[in-house]
Amino acid sequence: MNAIIEGRGLKRHYRRGAETVKALDGVDIAIRPGELVSILGPSGSGKTTLINLLSGLDAPTEGSLTINGRAVGGMSEDELVEVRRGVLGFVFQQFLLLPTLTVTENVELPLTFLGRRSEPARTREVLSWVGLGDRSGHLPSELSGGQMQRVAIARALMVEPRVLVADEPTGNLDSKAGRAVLELLKRLAKEKNLAVILTTHNTAFGYEADRIITLEDGRVRKEEGRRPDVV
Amino acid sequence: MSAYTLSRYASLAVKNLRRRAIRTALTVAGVGLAVMVAVSLAGFMLGYRGAIDRSIDMLGFQVMIMAKGCPYEAATMMLKGGTGLLYLPSDTYEKVKRDSDVDSITPVFVGVAQKEGSGIRDDAQEAAFTVISGVEPSSFLVMKPWLKMNEGPGYAGGRWFAPGTTDEIVLGFEAAEYEQRKVGDAFYASIQPAGKPDSVRHEFKVVGVLDRTGTQDDGTVFMPIDAARKAFNRPNQLTILGIKLKAFDSFKLREFENRWLKLPEVQVVGLQQVKNTLVGLVGTAQTMIAAVAVIAVLVALLGVVNAVLMSVYERTGEIGIMKALGARRGDIFELIWLETLFVCFAGAVAGSAAAVVGSGLVEAAIRGLADLGVSGSIVRITPSVVGGAVGASVLLGFFAGLYPAWRASSMRPVESIREGASS
Repeated sequence: MNAIIEGRGLKRHYRRGAETVKALDGVDIAIRPGELVSILGPSGSGKTTLINLLSGLDAPTEGSLTINGRAVGGMSEDELVEVRRGVLGFVFQQFLLLPTLTVTENVELPLTFLGRRSEPARTREVLSWVGLGDRSGHLPSELSGGQMQRVAIARALMVEPRVLVADEPTGNLDSKAGRAVLELLKRLAKEKNLAVILTTHNTAFGYEADRIITLEDGRVRKEEGRRPDVV
Repeated sequence: MSAYTLSRYASLAVKNLRRRAIRTALTVAGVGLAVMVAVSLAGFMLGYRGAIDRSIDMLGFQVMIMAKGCPYEAATMMLKGGTGLLYLPSDTYEKVKRDSDVDSITPVFVGVAQKEGSGIRDDAQEAAFTVISGVEPSSFLVMKPWLKMNEGPGYAGGRWFAPGTTDEIVLGFEAAEYEQRKVGDAFYASIQPAGKPDSVRHEFKVVGVLDRTGTQDDGTVFMPIDAARKAFNRPNQLTILGIKLKAFDSFKLREFENRWLKLPEVQVVGLQQVKNTLVGLVGTAQTMIAAVAVIAVLVALLGVVNAVLMSVYERTGEIGIMKALGARRGDIFELIWLETLFVCFAGAVAGSAAAVVGSGLVEAAIRGLADLGVSGSIVRITPSVVGGAVGASVLLGFFAGLYPAWRASSMRPVESIREGASS
């Protein structure tokens, strides 16, 4: 199956004073539709840096990266936006919902930036996928952490992305809510043929992915598959 | 950007402003206060000039000839009376009357008398004096055809005094109202004749009360010019000659002035000159207040910039996620810019409304601080003044919003999300 995201020799180096920090130091990776890939590793191993590169939020210092068939090397910020639009959805540990908007308005927010009108039927459908069909008029402050994370997932799904990037999506949740979110991501990957890239500190959750990539000091230490067909 | 997208951004901007309601309200109040000062000042400038124009126009003259003296005194005397009165020889009237450029002319004798003996009001010392204008109705009414007798209850049957009478007077509307005099009532005044040590008490009969004109005439007591001159013991003197020229332009006026300035004892004052003098009297104060208003507006705008910048920094994570969700730099720029414009617009509307509602207080305050020598409203806030203030505020908001909007749009999504997550 063709990869939707493919990186070769990815490096991301930062200058910190006189020192060069090698956050990522030569990583090869490919992400295919319908697979849940978890990226594991200790703090500082380069998980977030890798996920930022794979999602077009940041650009590599060296190496080649294609997202949905487009090489993103040397792209401006607005060009990267064009690459992300409609291809990538994001979920973060802190949810980052807009507190003044209702659940429906938060979920429809990406449409605004794409210049598309409100799509009530689509919104209802997406909210029903995440089990929040009855919370559409609520504000984020009226929801639990698990519900807020599911709103964030619904928001990411609204524009029918091909890849869902989930950076520590269970980090702020208790184990029960975290489990529910993980199950939801697994189900979405399978049912919607969605590629899901997951970073997590929870090794147990991480090992439930189809493919597990473990980073150490900015390099891939090991890559293993739970499903033989995706390794 | 489509209208729909703009409306969505506007909705987002408004909702964000409501999130910090107190901060937004204070920022709007700051802009509103500055706009209120600016609108009130503009209304005062406009209203005062209008009031001067009306007051001068309601004199009915184009040119005045009066005894040489201070032009400021001359200007204010004509509008509200004065105490340092100077007099012309009465033959000046006959000389000027023969000038071929004169269309109509009326002599006026002004004196100040002490009211007494009515027993109705004795509560205000300054109100014990009244301006008496000796006039010649036949020529005076040519200049002021709008002067009409009040026909309301108690005023019916009013008329101008008969020629040759010495004890009949006509009261301006406010003079009658203040003294509670009706047609047929007596009016007492003490007049000190020139060169005599003692005042003489006179009893006059009110034969007419004028309708309100909104001018200095409302507070005046009118009597026949000869009777006035006799009472003040100035039989051959005049205070003013009011003149209308056949052709009135600056060239003709200059010619007329040059002709009569040759008389050693007179000054010729064009009414435009009087207007300029009065405007000049408060011009410096207006300039200073205008400077304060400009500073207030600039300070308010700095407050707006500060408030919006704070809001931007507080929403670093949200801005990051919006960019991750597909917002371009331009989208974020417009969103933040709209917030600034809304704050300035709301402040301008609130400030203008406050200025309109409070215009009466401003007028009372200005009149309390200084006697401007004009009657009628001196604060006039027109739709164009309000429109100008709102437009200028939005325009300034346009510039004030540039930096916060640029700052927000320049945030990189990775750092923004990281900072937002850690805050």
